Parts: sequence; C-alpha cells; structure tokens
Amino acid sequence: MSDDRLVLPDYVPFERVALTDEERWPALSASGRARLAEFERHPLAPAWRHHAGHRLDSDQQEAATRQLPLEDWLPRHLAPAATLPAYRNWPRPLTTLSDFPLICRENLVDDIAAFVPPGADLSRVLHGTSSGSTGAALIVPDDPDELARGFHWMRGLVGAQWAPQPPRLAVAQVVFQRQAFTYASVVPGFGEALMARLNLHLDTWSAGAEQRNAFLHHADPQVFSGSPTSLEVLLDPALVAVLRPLALISGAMTLTATLRYALETAYDCPVLDVYGLHETRPIAVSDDGGPFVLAERRVHVEVLGDDGSPVPVGELGEIVVTSGENAYLPLVRYRTGDHARLVTRHGRPALADLEGREATVFVAASGAAVPCVELTQQLQAAGARGWTVVQRDDGQTSAVIALGDCQRVAERLGLLLGRPVEVTRVGSLADLGPGKPRRYRSSAGR
Amino acid sequence: MADVFGDRPKGDDPAGALANWFAENLDEEAVWSDLWEGPSADEVAARLGSAPQSFLSDAVDVLALAGDVFDEVAAAAAERVKLRGTPQSCLGAALGLWLFASQELVGPFTVSLRDDFAARAVLALAFRLAPLVEPGRWLTDSERRDEAARTFLLWNGLLPRGEDHVQARSIYEMRDSVRRQGALAQALADHAHRMEVQRRLAEAKAAEAAARYAHE
Repeated sequence: MSDDRLVLPDYVPFERVALTDEERWPALSASGRARLAEFERHPLAPAWRHHAGHRLDSDQQEAATRQLPLEDWLPRHLAPAATLPAYRNWPRPLTTLSDFPLICRENLVDDIAAFVPPGADLSRVLHGTSSGSTGAALIVPDDPDELARGFHWMRGLVGAQWAPQPPRLAVAQVVFQRQAFTYASVVPGFGEALMARLNLHLDTWSAGAEQRNAFLHHADPQVFSGSPTSLEVLLDPALVAVLRPLALISGAMTLTATLRYALETAYDCPVLDVYGLHETRPIAVSDDGGPFVLAERRVHVEVLGDDGSPVPVGELGEIVVTSGENAYLPLVRYRTGDHARLVTRHGRPALADLEGREATVFVAASGAAVPCVELTQQLQAAGARGWTVVQRDDGQTSAVIALGDCQRVAERLGLLLGRPVEVTRVGSLADLGPGKPRRYRSSAGR
Repeated sequence: MADVFGDRPKGDDPAGALANWFAENLDEEAVWSDLWEGPSADEVAARLGSAPQSFLSDAVDVLALAGDVFDEVAAAAAERVKLRGTPQSCLGAALGLWLFASQELVGPFTVSLRDDFAARAVLALAFRLAPLVEPGRWLTDSERRDEAARTFLLWNGLLPRGEDHVQARSIYEMRDSVRRQGALAQALADHAHRMEVQRRLAEAKAAEAAARYAHE
C-alpha cells in the first residue's frame, strides 16, 4: 500500500503552507501558542501533513459562540438569494420557496460563482473541497464564521459539560484512510483549547498501534468526531481502556445500530449521528438511532417525489435543503440525492429511514480493508464525475465511470486493491442510470 | 411539479451577444492591475483610421492574416473568431491584426505593442466590441474609434500614454458600449463577479484550508 503512484498532490506534507501563525490564529496568546507547539512536537505525535487555523480575531471568535437568530430567517434568506447571478434570467417572481427551481450538485460544479452573492466580502473566503457522497469534486467557498459556529453548535449538542479543559484536546476529528489532511489547531472561542485532525490508519504512525494509542491517551480528547469507519477504530480494547470521551460524533456515512451500540457500550457516552453535506452544513442529528431531528439552525428541509412535488408527510422522498448558514453559499432548494421520510420527533421535524450514506469497505487481495473514501480520492483525481464501483463475493471488482481517465482509474484502483479492476467509461452521469452519481457496493467478506 | 434549474426556457438572454467573449474567461480586473505604458489612445485611433481596404473587406480571412502577422497563439485566437464569430467579429479581429501589422507596414508606434497579449487584444475587438458596435463605425465615428483604441490597448496590457490608471479607466468605462447598455452591463458585472470568485478561491487554495471540526 505504499506505492508512490497513489500519492496525491494535496497530501504531500506541508505542500500547502502559506500563512503565519498570526494569520492562522489571530490573537492567540503566548501560552496558547506554547501549548500548541508542545502538542505538535510531542514525541508520540504523528507526522503532521498540514497547518490549518480558524482565522478569526477575538471579536469574531466571541460572535461565533452564538448561533444566528432564526426568526423570519427563511424569507430574509430568499430575498437576497433571488439576486444571485444563477437566477438572473429565471422568470420572476422569486419570492416564495416554491418559486425557486430545484438545484443539484452538478449546477454548483458547473458554475459555483453564480451561487455566491455579489457584494459578499470575498477577502475572507476559504477554499473548501467537498468530500461528500454525491459525485464530482466540488469546490465550496467556506465561511470561517460558519465553521466556528458549527463547532459551537456541536458543543450545544453535547451539553454544558463540554467546557475547555486544557491540556485535554477539545475535539479529535479522526479519519481512517491511507492519505489525509492532518493537523493540530486551536478551537475558536473555546479558551484556546486545542483540536487535531488525526489519521488512525496505522500506515501513518511510524511505530504502529502502540504509538497511535499512546498519543491518543496523551491527547485525551473530550470529544471525537469522525465517520463510522474511523470511529470503529476506537473500539480497540487498548483505546477503550484509556479514553474517556464526553461524546462521539459520527457523520458522512450511515452509522449502523450495531456500531452505535458498540460505541455507546464501550465508552458509556452519547453517540450523535449528524447528517449534513459540506455545501449545506449540518442538517439534522440523531442521538438515539431514531429519526434525525432537524438542526436548530438556518436549515429548511423538503421531501419531494420524483416529479419534484412534496410527498405526503411520512412518505419516502428526496431530501431537498435550503440552507442559510454559509454567507458565501446561500442555497435554495438543493437536491441532496439522499432519501428519507419527513416525520415529527420531539415536536420537531425529523428525517426517518435516511438512505444514501452507505459506508462501503472494499477488500484488497491481501485481505486489508480499503474504505471507499480512498477510491473516491483516486476517482476524483482522475477526473471522473460519477461512478459505480462493484466488488463481488470473490473480490473481483469492476467500475463504470462517467468521464475521466479510464486507464488511470484502472491503474490506481488496481494498486489500491491489489488486483486488476475492469473499468468502463460512459459519457455522462445519466449513463450511470438513475440514483446518486456515486455508488459503491462490495459483497466481499474480510 | 417543481422547476429544475437548467431545464426551463429562460427567454432572451441579454448576455448572448457577449457569449463568445465570456467563454474566453478573461478577467478584466486582473488586466487593469498589470498594465505597461503604451502609445496614446489618439495614436492608436489614428492608426485604426488608416487601415487599408484589404483589412476591411467582408471576405477578409482572419486566419490567413494572423498567420502572416503572428505566432501560434494569435493564430489559434483567430481560428476561434473564424469558427464562432460573426462577419463583424472577423472584421474586428482584422482591424486588431492591422494594428500589429502596421508596425512594419507603416512604422512603429511611439511605444511598441505587446506581442505577449496580442491574442487577447484581437479577441477583445472581435468578441467584446464588434458584436455591439459594427466595426465600420470605428472608422467613421470618432468616439467609437476612441473606444476601439482603448479596448485594444487595455486588453493588449497597455495604459494609454499620458494617462494614469484612474483617468484611463474612467474614460474607458465611459466609452464602453457594454457598460452603456443596462442588461449587458449586468451581464458584464456577473462575469466580473465570476472572475473574482474564481480568483479569490484560487488565492484561498494557494493559502491553506481552514480547520474543521466534524465530518459532513
């Protein structure tokens, strides 16, 4: 698995270093800076690959501890949205939600700038790349205020017991993949507590599991966030014996009832499953494995049928989101490609039977697990706009890609899986057939 | 049934006249920030007015002209004009090519034109100005001739001699036929917005990603 041909430019260590510490963490105190340096240089620390800061001054950090007011937010959101270049030639009126057309990821991929409000202060825009679950790579203009508010929204989910407790890490965002962004940073508006993005894949720890587990013990994170694939690693008994998180936050993919139960049992703490997309920000959360209750943020959900009309309450349909948290990307009626039933839970709208976030793990010829995110990295780097990758019981794998470099995909997936992969190229997403333009299926057993 | 973005007819597109220009993905703001001093607008306008009939014929072959005058980059631009442009675009491109060719045929300008941005200057005349102002008027109407000269100089990366940035920009924007038509001005503003978002995102990418706290 250490073949250099699989190395992607974005993951070359410190290839993207461009800022000073003052720019990454404006107003960070000398003691905060020292604590961060000590953490980064700890003898057990992994080889960090990036630097990443919150970019907020003291006032901005303080403001981010409060969520945006929700009163009348939707009409206030629609009025400026109607002036976006994307809707310039769209028939008027564009006043109510149903006046707006449905948009999808492809529309953003084709012309993201048309969905950015003219007049927005672009001097603070951040470059985000979507690693969601719906097709071609998408560049998302991120809003540093919203990212910080997102942390404090999570904090509200966990509760008041989650207060800064240095030197404990406030949050460890964990991933499990061959190549990943990893960094140590400072949480905005949270007593200069530290956070880290850590790759739990053993290939990234020179001394293997012993080093990884000892470093996690040292960091002692208050909260872990991750995908089911990475959170599953925390079930290692050596980690269960030493970690004491206040909560575990799962996202990106389906958290099965079995894994939820195992995590809850191992750590005796809440497990929160957050449903959201990079472009929409968090949409809903399930704290008990039941329906996902809509986040108390500027997010509105419709559930629509194939013809774009609302389905009767409780019936299955596509989740369409209107989101007003990211000042650089005010979305209206964004088709997620995911499906659910709209129900009521604890007096609030909620999404039941959510489909579309399957966590698929492939099996290499060596028997090693290969999370689908690693295939995504290579497929996107090869220019595919969508794909279907299927692994049979016997491990044989085939892929159909919409656009992209067929030969490169065959080579890279072959290297990842240690066996030839048959690749067919089609001319458009529509040629992949109905459904989400990015699908994985593996029935091979480990 | 809900409308789907991209599916519904949107009526007349006022930006249609500039579709070829916008497709070139050129960033006016970036051009203004990187200008050298060039000949004066009057000097270029006078040279435009001296274009020989062979450059003004409806049968003008811009590809052949570009081949005579320039390298492959300008030839590729001329090919796009021939392929996608109207006869007016071809005339506009031919007048741009005349300005370059005239340096040998008539004599040098007080300051040389820039070969490195020749294609951009020719495209600006062909795809930006010619669809709105018929090139024949560049020769008969002094204000439009001044507009053509200033359009050419800007996209050739040159500041008119004797003017500073503020003066040059002010006069250019006052003359600019795109800005003088409401719907087109809006389309131009949207295009400038797209260019700015792309530029800012590229700058942000060259900087660093921001810290994130959870998976979506």
